[in-house]
Amino acid sequence: MKTILFSILFALLTLAGNSQSNEYYQAMGENLGRYANCKTVEDYQALGNTFNRIAAAEPGEWLPLYYSANCFIIMSFIEPGDAPKKDAWLDAAEKSLDQMLQMVPGEAEVNALQAMYYLARLVVNPMERGQKYSMLSAQAVGTALGIDPTNPRARFIQLQNNIGSARFYGKDPKDFCPEATALLNEWDNFKPKSPISPAWGKQQVAEIVNSCK
Amino acid sequence: MHKVMRTFLTFAFLLTASVVFSQTTISGIIRARNDGTLPGANVYLRGTYDGASSDASGKFSFKSAKNGNQILIAEFLGYEPFSVEVQLNGTPIQIDIELKETFNKLDAVTITAGMFEASDKKRANTISPLDMITTAGAAGDVFGALQTLPGTTTNGESGRLLVNGGSSDESQTYIDGALVYAPYNSTAPNTATRGRFNPFMFKGTIFSTGGYSAEYGQALSSVLLLNTNDMPEQNQFDVSIMTIGPEIASTRLWETGAITATLGYANLGPYMKLVPQNFEWKQAPESASGAVSIRQKTSGKGLLKIYSSYDFGQFTLAQLNLNTNRMIDYALDNRNFFVNASLKNVLSEKTSLSTSTSFTHDADNIAFDSTSVVKQLHGFHLKEAFSHEFNQKISLRAGAEWFVKSIGQDFTSQQDTLNGNYTNHQMAAFAELEMYASKKFVVRSGLRLEHNTYMNNGKLSPRITAAWKLNTHSQFSAAWGQFYQNPADNFLMVTDKLGYEQATHYILSYQSVHEGRTLRIESYYKEYHHLVKQSSTAFYLPETYSNNGYGYARGFDIFWRDKNSIKNGDYWISYSFLDTRRNYLDYPESAIPSFTSKHNLAIVYKHWFGKIRSYASLNYKYTSPRIYNDPNDISFNSRHTLAYQTLDVSWSFLYKPNIIFYGAVTNLPGFKQEFGRRYADAPDAEGIYKSTALVPGSQRFFILACFITFTRKGTENQLDKIQ
Repeated sequence: MKTILFSILFALLTLAGNSQSNEYYQAMGENLGRYANCKTVEDYQALGNTFNRIAAAEPGEWLPLYYSANCFIIMSFIEPGDAPKKDAWLDAAEKSLDQMLQMVPGEAEVNALQAMYYLARLVVNPMERGQKYSMLSAQAVGTALGIDPTNPRARFIQLQNNIGSARFYGKDPKDFCPEATALLNEWDNFKPKSPISPAWGKQQVAEIVNSCK
Repeated sequence: MHKVMRTFLTFAFLLTASVVFSQTTISGIIRARNDGTLPGANVYLRGTYDGASSDASGKFSFKSAKNGNQILIAEFLGYEPFSVEVQLNGTPIQIDIELKETFNKLDAVTITAGMFEASDKKRANTISPLDMITTAGAAGDVFGALQTLPGTTTNGESGRLLVNGGSSDESQTYIDGALVYAPYNSTAPNTATRGRFNPFMFKGTIFSTGGYSAEYGQALSSVLLLNTNDMPEQNQFDVSIMTIGPEIASTRLWETGAITATLGYANLGPYMKLVPQNFEWKQAPESASGAVSIRQKTSGKGLLKIYSSYDFGQFTLAQLNLNTNRMIDYALDNRNFFVNASLKNVLSEKTSLSTSTSFTHDADNIAFDSTSVVKQLHGFHLKEAFSHEFNQKISLRAGAEWFVKSIGQDFTSQQDTLNGNYTNHQMAAFAELEMYASKKFVVRSGLRLEHNTYMNNGKLSPRITAAWKLNTHSQFSAAWGQFYQNPADNFLMVTDKLGYEQATHYILSYQSVHEGRTLRIESYYKEYHHLVKQSSTAFYLPETYSNNGYGYARGFDIFWRDKNSIKNGDYWISYSFLDTRRNYLDYPESAIPSFTSKHNLAIVYKHWFGKIRSYASLNYKYTSPRIYNDPNDISFNSRHTLAYQTLDVSWSFLYKPNIIFYGAVTNLPGFKQEFGRRYADAPDAEGIYKSTALVPGSQRFFILACFITFTRKGTENQLDKIQ
């Protein structure tokens, strides 16, 4: 009987353990759903804060840090003025990125996000930061694609960089249409590692492809 | 068995149920000390997902199913995290939280009295390293770019930095903490010079117009601190083709270091054939230079930087000798060897030790009218500085320095041979304590002790400066200090019976930086004591010299910069008012020195044309008439030069990611420029000192250049989103 009691206890504990991890997946899932409703800086700030709370409670997980950094980067893109504010948010994103680079050094998604982060730093003051950060962004994309040449987000950021550059140099950005179409077609070939792994970007690529028509 | 299990399960169920069903609401408001409510703060229970963000009015509210004692945390960027233990038992909790701002030096008050900082570090800087490069008229000259800042006076016949009523000898230039003994190229008398260093070398610049730190000495007026770039980011090969000559540079990286080698050649000959010149050049200025720069990361977190360069330059200019009324050839060749090294070692999180050293050998060979002058300078500087942070608010910087300067000058003419030389070892020690009372108030006080072995004379100079932040964007600074400098080489070669020249600075400054707009107003008063005074024209006699000279300079500077109001445009306006008099050198009375001018105005405008990927810069400068002495006139320093005016334009065009075209013209409208007159040493038969006007080498200066960078991923070097 003792054995049975112990096995039940053990089962309960495992269940409790699982429920902890279920709670994590559930919380992540729910909050990833909230992305769709985010419009303002405040919305993203609240969502980023939520991911930060999960990150604090789950020190072994990098995905909450990923999404929190992602929110802060987006905030810097949508904030109209106030450069010091943008830099403060990007400082927060940088902190999360540094943590992730330590936790999961070979994760292409993190390097791809870092490329986006450098781009955000650049956008704060293109005149003065253009040269330095465009290079750093290209390097981070390079690292991500070096790890996983099929990573669609790394490919998307590279595509975006190329289109921006073409537009800047007065070339036809439509030169990149075949690449965009190929990326969109192959998008679903990439299987995210889990339901809560980064999966964003398809929409944006679809928009690029639409603009080609 | 069943019973036991049932009981157990019921118990487990009850437990879970109680967790699920007893929810506690936690709500409240987040405030910042002094600054009202904080929206967007993160409030949560530690180790759980339960929490919320504060809304626009700082309010938050969330429910938690947790029970018992929990830790409530409130966090907001730039504030100290707050935590408190709370009892969760279903009863709503109402809690008001006040967050305290983090003490962060980056956004705390900074000392701005007399300081212009251009660096990437500070987010609210007044000028950036890029400004140094793109200012029209400067054409890539560090010193030229600084002359658009308040406190400076432009002397077209010198090109050197003159700050707040000080002569060009009163400013010193440091690279990575080590003194640069010969920062300017050698030129013929009364022709403008340029700095020896490429502005692209530097990641940051601090230009102090007075009241600077005890770490720096031997400058009565100003110090310019240039900090070189850290590790380059990639292997690259650069080619620059300019109308005055080509330059190539190559950078190679390895895991812990990098090397950059640069070779340049310039010859103004072809250019001078195309563009009319005011001077008659027998041999156009020609120069060759080579430089090697090494970066090596050391074990720990140190970085060793070495820069070494060798320059050779020469020219021959025909000038009118007013004494003999004949045209004579003035030929000069200059060789300059310079090494600069610095190593910063991080001993611990709070302590660092840095070593800076430099060595200069500069030699001028001048020949004119069967006279030859050979000038040699050997300079050495070693500095060991120690920094320690006692805590976030109190830090100490202290160090010791050793300067060696050896000057030799041989003058040989048909009648005379004159040799002059001296060697001085200057020992110095400094200590400076920086104390923040709060984010809003800081005081920095320092002492500097110097000893000169040649004059056998020591001095202690105290300095103090404080800054007070009024609100997030504006602040006051004040500075007071005593500054000493050895007399000029010309005098020390004749006598060692001289003492230090002295200046005392009083500075009060206000600065406001808000939404891309900067306003600085600074007023200063400077007292000069113990300046070198000559009692006769017998410059070779030691007894001619004394330290009885004195003077003052006072004035105010205004700087306004606006990066915000004009889309893609950016401008700044500097104005300086200067009132100064001195009685020094051979002045018969207290008079306005000829290198100063009462009003100085600079307007700089830069615009980015996204569609054509071009960056245009335009600047206008005005310097009110300066005073000069006419020996034909009974009164001293009684003549006025023309006001100096120039309007310079430059254009940079980004053709491809790695190819930039650049063009610039100085003095586009062709304002007449004249810098006074040069006189014969003695009157002619009719008792008149013959003279000739000092004019610039040409009315305008044009430059065209093409800069090409090759990298392995050359085409990927994008400037995305710049539009």
